[in-house]
Formats: sequence, structure tokens, C-alpha cells
Amino acid sequence: MHIEDGILPPQAWGMWYGITALFVYPGLREIKRRVKENLSYKPFLSMVAVAVFVISSMHLPVPVTGSCSHPCGTPLAAIIVGPLATAVISLIVLFFQAIFLGHGGITTIGANDFSMGIVGGISGYLCWKLLRRFNSPLWLAGGVAGFVGDVMTYLTSAFELALSLHGHIPLVRQWMIFFAGYGPTQFPLAIAEAVFTAVVLQVMYNRRPDLLPGVTGRKRFSKIERIDMEEQQS
Amino acid sequence: MKAGENVVQVNTPWFDPFTRWMLIIMFVLLALIFGAAKYMDMHQMQGGGTDDAVNAMASSAAHVQSHPFINLPGDAQVGAFSVANFFVGMIVGHSWKKLFEKDEE
Repeated sequence: MHIEDGILPPQAWGMWYGITALFVYPGLREIKRRVKENLSYKPFLSMVAVAVFVISSMHLPVPVTGSCSHPCGTPLAAIIVGPLATAVISLIVLFFQAIFLGHGGITTIGANDFSMGIVGGISGYLCWKLLRRFNSPLWLAGGVAGFVGDVMTYLTSAFELALSLHGHIPLVRQWMIFFAGYGPTQFPLAIAEAVFTAVVLQVMYNRRPDLLPGVTGRKRFSKIERIDMEEQQS
Repeated sequence: MKAGENVVQVNTPWFDPFTRWMLIIMFVLLALIFGAAKYMDMHQMQGGGTDDAVNAMASSAAHVQSHPFINLPGDAQVGAFSVANFFVGMIVGHSWKKLFEKDEE
């Protein structure tokens, strides 16, 4: 889903920058608010950001199709730090991937963030919330979120390309042509992302259930919080 | 004062359960990657990235030349990835224990 510079015309990448800004600005406000509420949120957010960086840079070989692709990590990020904050950290991740690793481009950061950080994150988050509302097991809700978020990311990337480049070909047909380039390799990786998301959420539930919104559990304080409480008491 | 005097010796476990699990998971993932890559090599599959393939497809549809912001040749990409991931590991490691260590009680 790393669309490179030079493919999208200026009006298209400008539009995606504008749409992305509509999510990033409230994301920044949400981060500010949650940092004040929870002392652990900032280091936790940085950990999640670097995890998204690694996961979305990691090209894995898929022998079924003979090509490589990468998972996203944003459905997991959206569940644990919030979908709007995920839009912000994905923007930062995509910037560093573009300037240091040659993944994606600068003009296309808006489009790439919309597909990976916003649609991938929000779709995964909605699946998680919906399934948890029906008391679905944690691993199932996390797994479905990971799978749907991954596939939605690539569907959106294909749509972004098709919207600008379909020409005389019907939009939906061109969309499916581009998605056919991603899909066969991405489906096995979406299953891997589902397993990964489910395992990480289960481990987090066992260790720090209070960090998972929508999951009740015994409140456990992190070392940072305990030090702060001790300082306040003394 | 002799060298080594007044030094508090701390017993740091070097092969604790956490390290063992991390190594097991790492070797399982590496084995899967090597197995997939070997299979692809045996069947003359190119193993190119789908991002590159779709970017090339889109470039030809738009009759333009796409390009990444920076093009890292050969092993430079492995080097850049290693440097980035070294510091990623340091950041995660720095916060990990503070956030996830088990309560002693």
C-alpha cells in the first residue's frame, strides 16, 4: 500500500492530504488529552508507533503467489491506543519509511496514511468494538479486527489508485484490477495479521488488562504510575 | 583501593523465561521465512514486493514514471532497516519493563 511519488496527480494527493488532516488534527488533540489522564500513555504510544513502523516495513515472502508483502499493524494499534491516535502515529511512520527506507513517497503520505492509518485502523477498531459488544472472545474479536483492517487497507489503496487513474475504464473494474495486484499475496498475510493481533491482545489482557479499552480487569499500575504515586504520597 | 572493590554484584539472569520465549518465537518466524523463501527459490519465483508490482502497474496506466522518495540500492536497504530496527528495539526495550513487568506482590 506504499504508493510512490509521481503516480497520483497533484489534485489527488492534495485531496488525500486534506482528508487525512481531518483525522490527524483530532488525533493530536486526543493524544494530548490522554497523556494528561494516563502517565503511561506517552511511552506506550511510542512503543506502539515503533511496532507499527517495524510491522509495516517487514516484507514477508508468500510462497502461494511468489511475491512479498507486509502486514500493517494499524488494527492492533487502533484497538490499544485509539483509532485517531493511530492516524497520527501512522503519519509519522510513513514519513520515516519514505525518507529512510524508500517505502512510499512524500507527496503520497496523505493517501498512504488514509489507507493504512485511518481506514485500516478504524475498520479494525469497529470490528473489535462490535464483536466485544456481543461478548465475543478476545482472540476472535482481535483476530477479525486484524484481518479486516489489513484487507481494508489494501482495498483502499487500490481505490485511491483507481479513482485517479481509471480513465475510460469503469472505476469498479479498475479498482478490482489494482486490488488483484495486492489481494492474492495479502490474504495469507491478513490471516497472519489476524493471528498476531489476537495473540498480542491476549498477552496484553493477561498482563495489563487496564490498558485495553473495553476489557475489564484488575487495575494494575505500571512502574511509572507507581513511582508517581509514591512521589505524591511522600 | 583495589579494582573491583565496592562494586555491588547484581545477578542478572541471562536466559530467563522471557528471553527463551522471545528466542523461540524469533526462530519459528525465521524458519517460516526461510522455508517460504527456499520454496520460492526452488520454483523460480521472483519474490518481488506487491507494492512495487502495483506501483509499476499504476505507472503504466497513468503513463508516468513513479519513484520512491529515496531509492536504496542493493544491501543498503538491509543496512537502513537494521539501523532503524536497532533503535526501535532500544525504544521498545526501554519502555517494556516499565509498562509490562509483573507485580512482585
